[in-house]
Amino acid sequence: MSNETLIVDLSSELAPVRRRSMVREGALLLALCAVELALAPATGLMRADMHHMGWAPHLMWRVASLGLLAVAACVLAVRSFSPTARPRQGLMLACALAALAIAGGAFVTPAGNGEMGLLDRIAPVSGMRCATSIFVLSLPILALLGALMRRAAPTQPRRSALASGIAAGTCGAFVFAFCCPFNDPLYVVVWYSVGCAAVAAVARWCLPQRFRL
Amino acid sequence: MEAAQHGHGGAYRRLLGETSEWLQRYFERRLPPGEVDDAVQETLLAIHRRRHTYDPRYPFAPWLAAIARNKWVDQLRSLARRSADELPDAIATGDHEAAVVSSSVLAGLLDQLRPAQARAILLVKVQGYSVDEASAQTGLSPSAVKMNIHRGLARLTALIEKTPDVE
Repeated sequence: MSNETLIVDLSSELAPVRRRSMVREGALLLALCAVELALAPATGLMRADMHHMGWAPHLMWRVASLGLLAVAACVLAVRSFSPTARPRQGLMLACALAALAIAGGAFVTPAGNGEMGLLDRIAPVSGMRCATSIFVLSLPILALLGALMRRAAPTQPRRSALASGIAAGTCGAFVFAFCCPFNDPLYVVVWYSVGCAAVAAVARWCLPQRFRL
Repeated sequence: MEAAQHGHGGAYRRLLGETSEWLQRYFERRLPPGEVDDAVQETLLAIHRRRHTYDPRYPFAPWLAAIARNKWVDQLRSLARRSADELPDAIATGDHEAAVVSSSVLAGLLDQLRPAQARAILLVKVQGYSVDEASAQTGLSPSAVKMNIHRGLARLTALIEKTPDVE
């Protein structure tokens, strides 16, 4: 088929299209996060003493830093779906933000935690449960980001997939921050990172598989 | 493109016509002549399928160049996968200017490969020798020649992906 024939074919079957909107996609992500947050108390996932926690520094640190990271990562992921986007710098910025958030945890360690052993503080069995919960909470957001990515035109699909994984992981961790009964920042840093990294790895491997521009 | 997004067929046809000329020049400088038409048509199809992702607040050229570059890399990857295939006897030739630019770009890229890989690609993919003939000329086994072509093309793809867009 010649180029001219192809052009005639394409233009003769032309239909109006609904233009992609980053605001709409961001709103969809926000709505899905809100639904997960709203479902947490209804399903009994929300921690029982949440109403008594008030402005506890460790809770504020956890919620604020994860919220900030989730917003930054979602913006990065949605922006990276544009063909002209270069997600590399955004990914580096997200890593820098994550490092800052982790460093902030050093200032909010609850009293008495320093006397506990490292293994007691990390609590691997509970930690694995937390990481798994984060992974499960991330899946709906990852599915939505995957659908948005397929509909868009990222020219660096592997990096876009990684950004989507980080976004889904941090959103899942943000929702889980209201449910997790552990307060120790070391525990939070270790197991939330494991959960987010697992989501990012799955996204990086799965999302580009069937994507074709 | 904005008119095309609203379903204006005439504007879309004009746009694709001008775009295909630009793509023809773009790919002639970057791909072997036999691959150019495929790359142009693949890019036109990608533009058609993803036309809803164009934002009229921004210029059209960077959007088009990003898609063309992606298709170029795809085409190079597919070349790398087919590295052991024989070249067809009848190879289309582009105009003189495109050939000169293409060979100069290719020479620059081949300089960055290992000498054995560059020589194998030059003999088989550029000069049209068969793998056996290239093997006789280089003194390497046919499978070593194929391996050099395969790795060389993979390396070329990686190099091109790292370089910023020229146009």
